[in-house]
Amino acid sequence: MAAVCTSRTRQMMGLLRILRNFSQNERLLSTSVLRHNVASDGPPKFTPPSKPVIIDKTQKEASLRRFLSPEFIPPRQRTNPVKFSIERKDMIQRRKVLNIPEFYAGSILAVTMTDPHVNGNLNRFVGICIQRSGKGLGATFILRNVVDGQGVEICYELYSPRMRKIEVLKLEKRLDDNLMYLRDALPEYSTFNFDMQPVHYEITGDVPVNLLKVKMRPKPWSKRWERPKFNIKGIRFDLCLTPEMMEHAQKWAEPWRPYDMLKEYDTSSLEEHIFKEVHENLRK
Amino acid sequence: RNNNTLLSCLGAPVIQCIRTHRTNTWWDEHLTEDNASFLKKVVTEEYKQQTTDKLNPLKDEPWPRHEWAEGSRRVGLVAVKLGMMPVWSKSGERHVVTMLQVQDCHVVKHLSKEEYNGRTAALIVGGKNISPFHRPEGYLEVFRNAGVPPKQKLTTFCVSDNAIIKPGTPLYAAHFCPGQYVDVTAKTIGKGFQGVMKRWGFKGQPASHGQTKTHRRPGSLGPGGDPAKVFKGKKMPGRMGNIYDTNHGLKVWRVNTKYNILYINGSVPGHRNCLVKVRDSILPTRLENNKNPPFPTFFADGDKELPEDLFDEDVFQFGQPMPE
Repeated sequence: MAAVCTSRTRQMMGLLRILRNFSQNERLLSTSVLRHNVASDGPPKFTPPSKPVIIDKTQKEASLRRFLSPEFIPPRQRTNPVKFSIERKDMIQRRKVLNIPEFYAGSILAVTMTDPHVNGNLNRFVGICIQRSGKGLGATFILRNVVDGQGVEICYELYSPRMRKIEVLKLEKRLDDNLMYLRDALPEYSTFNFDMQPVHYEITGDVPVNLLKVKMRPKPWSKRWERPKFNIKGIRFDLCLTPEMMEHAQKWAEPWRPYDMLKEYDTSSLEEHIFKEVHENLRK
Repeated sequence: RNNNTLLSCLGAPVIQCIRTHRTNTWWDEHLTEDNASFLKKVVTEEYKQQTTDKLNPLKDEPWPRHEWAEGSRRVGLVAVKLGMMPVWSKSGERHVVTMLQVQDCHVVKHLSKEEYNGRTAALIVGGKNISPFHRPEGYLEVFRNAGVPPKQKLTTFCVSDNAIIKPGTPLYAAHFCPGQYVDVTAKTIGKGFQGVMKRWGFKGQPASHGQTKTHRRPGSLGPGGDPAKVFKGKKMPGRMGNIYDTNHGLKVWRVNTKYNILYINGSVPGHRNCLVKVRDSILPTRLENNKNPPFPTFFADGDKELPEDLFDEDVFQFGQPMPE
């Protein structure tokens, strides 16, 4: 995509890519293709593009994977639920224009942002998602990659108006939700080619889990990853730490935590309601 | 009352023991369960009736509405702080915004110039609806006169004479337009007894290099022998917070007319779900943005249907095509 495209050819390229990725993502209900409105009076009015009706006869809806993005689930606070419902409306409106795919910490994404300091105005970055945080409109995710031997992490806001495209090149989960330990791991585990081609993934069934255990650089690390509060399963501790050090780390274990009733937050019923609401609104 | 009469005859100071018998009961102490639930139902129905009565201000002898003039002051609102949210401008800058919801805001009383302070008229405005059962009679009387359900918070707004409104009119979030500037007053979060570093922002002392038991202390209390005293108003540790504070010059980015929500730039004093007083900004540099507002207030008479969301020109709206 280095050629200087006119807006028309860019739209055609977008359409082609969407059709090529058809098998990956069935739920392309809104395309980000704007129609040229040759208006005689004033600036062109925004007419929403016609929605392509995709009838998938191979799989039933029940077998599709139900995924609710974690930023829709409200935190456990004393806020009025009206605030969350209004925020959700804004999020759904944004999702109708920009397709935000399903991804987890450990998936490899390519993100295109508008950047005023670049010639062609667009800035593409490929990386592994190490963390998804934030609730509501301020949800963010961090992509990590090693460029020319230098590790680079960029924190993107999912609902920022500067986001143009989010593509999932490889959808997979890892053994942990938070992969911040990749900073202290060997750089080979964080390098990904910018020209990586998207890998086909299934939309039914479970997300593939990568059981990779990462080798670490020698200590000191940025955080003491062996301590039980981080609960990391994706590091090969047997190569870098002695059993005595592992036992010493267990001193910081808090065995009462799973029984702490004040920390209980059962989101199953909330999730179902929100999932139904989001999918109904996205279909409109 | 038992008076100690013997002692008073002797001329010694009279020690009077005043015996009081507490006659406070709570509202359903002497009621049966049926009566209590009936009362609750009746009260909710009454509130609904009262609010619907006041929805059309044109019906019952409204006061005359004047046009906005330079230098006239209009009423404000009482709102509930819901929470905070990010908002993006068309150039891509991210700002944080507080959401204030206007729940059941009614004008409750009008005080003329002579009654109030001799200079300006005043309007008392009430906020969220609450149950009448745990309030004293005197408090509920004001609301009965206005024909309005009892409110949790009452505030006075100094108002110019051309902006007075009849008691009982409801106030909505559309009273403020996007792009104007407001001042928000609320009770700050109480922090309890706090030291001088948190309360006044003192720098304290270094953590090491020989400091003996002195890391967060105020240090010197003032000059030496000449005044030989500590001046009044010296900043010292004490109770912090739980006082009324105002944030001036906050921009209104967006107004939601369906749920009556104002999106106000930056942060606002008070905790979540606290009641907050919002009024037009008095900062001289922001007077230009506050010109030609809905005067004296926004009346939902039905002839003008406002869209569900009103945005400022700078705000990036999510349904619109992306800029640049």
